[in-house]
Amino acid sequence: MSFETLIDQLADDLEPVRPRRFWSDAAIMALIAGIELALLFAIGFANLDMHRLETQPTFGWRLVTLGLISLAAGFAAIRSFDPTYSAKGALRWIAALVGVSVIGGMFLASLPGGLAELIQRLDWIDGIHCASRIAGLSIPPLVGLMLLGRRGAPTDMRRSRLLVGVAAAAWGAFAFVFSCPFNDPVFIVTWYGLGCSVAVLAARFILPWLARW
Amino acid sequence: MAEDKWRTLMIAAQNGDASAYRRLLVELGSWLRSYYARRLPAAMVDDLAQEVLLTIHAKRHTYDPSKPFGPWLGVIARYKWIDRLRAMKDGITDELEEGLAAPDTGEAAHSAYTLDALMSRLKPAQANAIRLVKIEGLSVKEAAERLGQTIALVKVNIHRGLRQLSELARAEHHEF
Repeated sequence: MSFETLIDQLADDLEPVRPRRFWSDAAIMALIAGIELALLFAIGFANLDMHRLETQPTFGWRLVTLGLISLAAGFAAIRSFDPTYSAKGALRWIAALVGVSVIGGMFLASLPGGLAELIQRLDWIDGIHCASRIAGLSIPPLVGLMLLGRRGAPTDMRRSRLLVGVAAAAWGAFAFVFSCPFNDPVFIVTWYGLGCSVAVLAARFILPWLARW
Repeated sequence: MAEDKWRTLMIAAQNGDASAYRRLLVELGSWLRSYYARRLPAAMVDDLAQEVLLTIHAKRHTYDPSKPFGPWLGVIARYKWIDRLRAMKDGITDELEEGLAAPDTGEAAHSAYTLDALMSRLKPAQANAIRLVKIEGLSVKEAAERLGQTIALVKVNIHRGLRQLSELARAEHHEF
């Protein structure tokens, strides 16, 4: 096809478009997250009362760190769908935030005295249950972010997919905090980490396929 | 300044002005051909420039009118170029087409963004293999004979060299 023919076709196909806006995408994600959380409370999934939650020593730590990670990674993921944006700096900050969160959690707990204690504290049956719940709860933000990525034009897919995975995973874990009865940071870091890894891996494989342009 | 004019035309195009869009695409088509002529074999230039025009059409909503147009265009052109380099890397065992050789533009040796400039940062064995097979159009066997290497080694050098080129290109700053 000649250039002239192609240009004629594209000009003939032209329709007005609304430029992509960061804040409208962020509002869509906030809506998805808000609806998910409201539904969880409505169906009784998040059934711990606030009084009981506040007595858990790790409740504030989990809520603040996961909320911050989700917010920071979510904002950076949405920005990374702009072709001119480089997420390198944002990822460094988020990695630092995750590191500080894990270290902070370890200050709240004593380290296991031996292998037997570690195995007991990891409580793998409940741990797998937690991890699967977190992976499930991360699906709505994961889908939302991936669809926004498809509409955008990410040029650094490696970082975009990581940010999408981390944001969705952190949100899933954040939502799960409201129904999680476990306090031990060793348990939380291990099993929350596993649940989050599922979402990160899903973004790793699905986003490049879905948002390729 | 072309960039300011293109920005104005793109904003008009986003609002549905077909004549502004046509003017913009004509100018971008010329710019893209010139951009890729310094980076790709001649036979690929028009094909990729057209592909990028289609991409610009599909992704025109991702241009933010409050920002300069140049970086947006530059990053899309570069992204598609890297994509093409990757495709070249994946298809190195394909038969070469006639007319694949690129003309010597002269500018190439002096621009930090040219294919030659990037190739100068490769190992000589890799650069020579890519130059002979991918640019001058020799078969892998002919290149192996000329370089005194085995066919397998030439293929490995092309494969690794193109991968390295992709990484170098990705690390380059935007044109604008």
